[in-house]
Amino acid sequence: MSNFPTPAAIIGHTVSVPIHGQDVSGERTASKVDWQRLFSLREMGVYYALILLIDVLALVTLHLGHPNYFSVLNISNVMYQASLSAIMAVAMTVILISGNFDLSVSSVAALAAAVLTGYADQIGFWPAALLAMTVACFVGLLNGSIVQFLGINAFIVTLGTLTAIRGIVLIYTDGHSLSVQDPHVLDAMAAFESGRLDIGIPLAVFGVVLTLLGLRSALVSKKSGGIAWTPRTAGMVLAGLCMLAIIVATGATVPLPKPVLYTLAFTAVIWFTLTYTIVGRRLYAVGGNPEAARLSGINVVRYKLFAFVLSSGAAGFAGILFASRLRSINPAALTGAELTVIAAAILGGTSLFGGAGSVIKTLAGAMLLYSLTNGFNILNLGANYQGLIEGIVVVAAAAIYTVGAERGKRA
Amino acid sequence: MSDVVTRPLLEGLEDRLLALEGVAKAFPNGTIALRGIDLVVRRGRVHGLLGANGAGKSTLIKIISGAFSPTGGRMIWKGAAVSWRNPRAANDGGVATIHQHIPLVPTLSVIENVFLGAQDRWRRGAAANRRFDALCERVGYHLSPDVVVGDLSIGERQMVAILQALGTGADLIVMDEPTASLAAGERELVYAAVRRLSKVEGKAILFVSHFLDEVVALTDCVTVIRDGRAVMHAETCDLNENLIAEAIVGKEVAVLERMAATSPATNSNAQTMLEIRDLRSAGKLEPISMRVARGEVIGIAGLLGSGRSELLHAIFGADPAATGEVLVKGRCIGRGTAAAVRAGIGLVPEDRMRQGLVPDFEIWRNTSLPALSSVSWRRMLPDRRRERARGSEAIRRLSIKASSPDAPVTELSGGNAQKVTIAKWLFSDVELFLFDEPTAGIDIGAKNDILFLVRQLAADGNAVLMVSSEFEELLAVATRLIVMRDGRCVARRAAHETSEHELLLLAGGGSAADADATIDIAPGRPPTSDQSGQ
Repeated sequence: MSNFPTPAAIIGHTVSVPIHGQDVSGERTASKVDWQRLFSLREMGVYYALILLIDVLALVTLHLGHPNYFSVLNISNVMYQASLSAIMAVAMTVILISGNFDLSVSSVAALAAAVLTGYADQIGFWPAALLAMTVACFVGLLNGSIVQFLGINAFIVTLGTLTAIRGIVLIYTDGHSLSVQDPHVLDAMAAFESGRLDIGIPLAVFGVVLTLLGLRSALVSKKSGGIAWTPRTAGMVLAGLCMLAIIVATGATVPLPKPVLYTLAFTAVIWFTLTYTIVGRRLYAVGGNPEAARLSGINVVRYKLFAFVLSSGAAGFAGILFASRLRSINPAALTGAELTVIAAAILGGTSLFGGAGSVIKTLAGAMLLYSLTNGFNILNLGANYQGLIEGIVVVAAAAIYTVGAERGKRA
Repeated sequence: MSDVVTRPLLEGLEDRLLALEGVAKAFPNGTIALRGIDLVVRRGRVHGLLGANGAGKSTLIKIISGAFSPTGGRMIWKGAAVSWRNPRAANDGGVATIHQHIPLVPTLSVIENVFLGAQDRWRRGAAANRRFDALCERVGYHLSPDVVVGDLSIGERQMVAILQALGTGADLIVMDEPTASLAAGERELVYAAVRRLSKVEGKAILFVSHFLDEVVALTDCVTVIRDGRAVMHAETCDLNENLIAEAIVGKEVAVLERMAATSPATNSNAQTMLEIRDLRSAGKLEPISMRVARGEVIGIAGLLGSGRSELLHAIFGADPAATGEVLVKGRCIGRGTAAAVRAGIGLVPEDRMRQGLVPDFEIWRNTSLPALSSVSWRRMLPDRRRERARGSEAIRRLSIKASSPDAPVTELSGGNAQKVTIAKWLFSDVELFLFDEPTAGIDIGAKNDILFLVRQLAADGNAVLMVSSEFEELLAVATRLIVMRDGRCVARRAAHETSEHELLLLAGGGSAADADATIDIAPGRPPTSDQSGQ
């Protein structure tokens, strides 16, 4: 900066003109908020759909005299069912943002599960889990290297690895189910995967802190001449109040299954990275326009490789959770799971062309899909209709995003 | 047209294929592209159309090919006044246009591309094969009909485009810089086809080019356009490259006064900012070495495909195939764009929307992209308030016309989008600026802002390398110039020693000395250079 103090300032003196007769200072304009756009179907659609679905299910269960749908137990059960797909969908969102695609996640998860169950009896749970994660990350590196260095389309490469890795699982298991025998390992798996942790107290503290922080930054913003309620401050206060409401409604006992906690923690880390760090910003740039990112001095290849490794790593972790849950692995396990994972990301509004997406919305998308499944079970509608309804929901969501995007452009 | 009387009978009225009488074009936004052009294109002749960037050539071509309709004057086609409703109508009438960027379908075969517009029921037939062979016979160039176009070289694709134009049965073929991106050998193919079509088949060809030597060698007559008027009509045999260059440049003094004249003489012991040694890239850039001091603006003159952008990309580390040394302030920088940015180099690329900006990002997220850590908390977490303030600062300093830094860059006009791509580098520690066509396609006001900025950057002790097709601009801001052609640096000049005229000759073909030697007056033809455009 020091060696470049004046040039543009001088330009400014000579040619600058007031634009539309108003001051273009950062504060003033930053405070203008397009609430209508923020709450549009395109921006918030997945939340609306989720709320609508849960409300409908709650009303129907009430009408049928089933137990309360809104119970912590029921909701956390849905979250538990969704957790594996959700972890993979969050990583899928990252790779979609980077402008790539990963079809191979379900095979990678199955491979990690097979490696874990195959080795745990000999080397113990944690070393086997580490080995499984290493194998998964290696597959991601392989996927990414083929895509980035040979320049083959990611869809094709991962379609190939989807099949090939499943083949490796079949070879490794010789087509049979593997199961864990060692009681120490079984204990470790149970400790890792099953059981619930009560997050009532931390949730209450977090809710209070979030509400206060939100109020504080609203006040600061108002004092410095801006508008108090920006999406950020309003969102913080609202989220904090929601948490407190949950605490009040449940009497401060919110026992969540461990996989749900892992999912929430992973999502929080990824969300923070994408939203607030340089790495996240650059990742969006890499997906939005790789050439512009490259010519801005960003190592595009490194970011894209990282996204592949993250995707496969998350799949590996999901595979470990899966194996720990069942204590065994069937070579055909998780077949087709990649489609649910991708559907969750699409429901969350992630662009298939890169550069746009939000992991929180992906999480909501996963919840939406599993709430549908859950609803079918509750209502005894039979699994036959499930595929049809899910498919319609995904296409309808994509239609809303696409049509909404075109409207937005025209406006 | 009195000059017709003086011409030989062969060039009489019946040979007139197309005549433009006072054709004018004003755009709704007030831009006047053509101020009344008279032009006569005759059968059997290759008619060269020349002019600097922005002179109105493309507009004229678009009117002839039916993409625009003129706002004044008449267009007479085969003796009757016409007004094409759309390019298809022009095509049906017998005008085929070969655009600079060849619109072929790369996944289809040659023959399928050639007959793409034909209204056949079946994809392939024996009849199509016979017609294709006949076409090849006519241009004297044979190409396998079943090869997929994606596998062809650019020169061969150009030939496919010519076959396509012929396949429609056109009488007039408009070629817009057909050789700009071709290698020397490939150009010969095009020349041979053009000569054959005009001499053997009697087709009229309107040939647009920036290469003066090929215009002299290939065309029968030449029209030069400047500022929307035809300033010269002449028989090529009466001309040489010098005369053409003079007509293109015009007598007017450059609007922008020369930097070289106004700035203090470059300090000979100024610190060396950039040194490149044997920088090369196979097939794109011949080895080049140079040294740039602080405070210098180096203008890189060259036509499209001359290696000018490739040179900037090689310096910036954006060309992985490039080899050679790039030293900034005496230190050799590593390969890759990240190393270049760390070393203090900034590149403003040629295609701002495709290479410069992230379309999903607002102005503020684009301006802070290359130097994120400087607006970040602990160099890790970008601070939006500081970023947005930087966006506002960019808007204010460069007078970008945008309502706020939150405006998406896709909504900006060309000039304003260009300013955002420049602003990206103004806030970081960049000391060496590489500008690739910074003023292409933007209005005159923004153009002057940018040229002024370039001067100012240099005056503050930075170094600038600037590529431009508009040599007038280069002369206005540069201290030294290098001229590139075919991936080579063909000349180096101090700005005060050269002229737009000389640069045009150097970039567009032979040197000034060569041009003197190629004066070629065919005996027996009276000089018929007229000035009917004025």
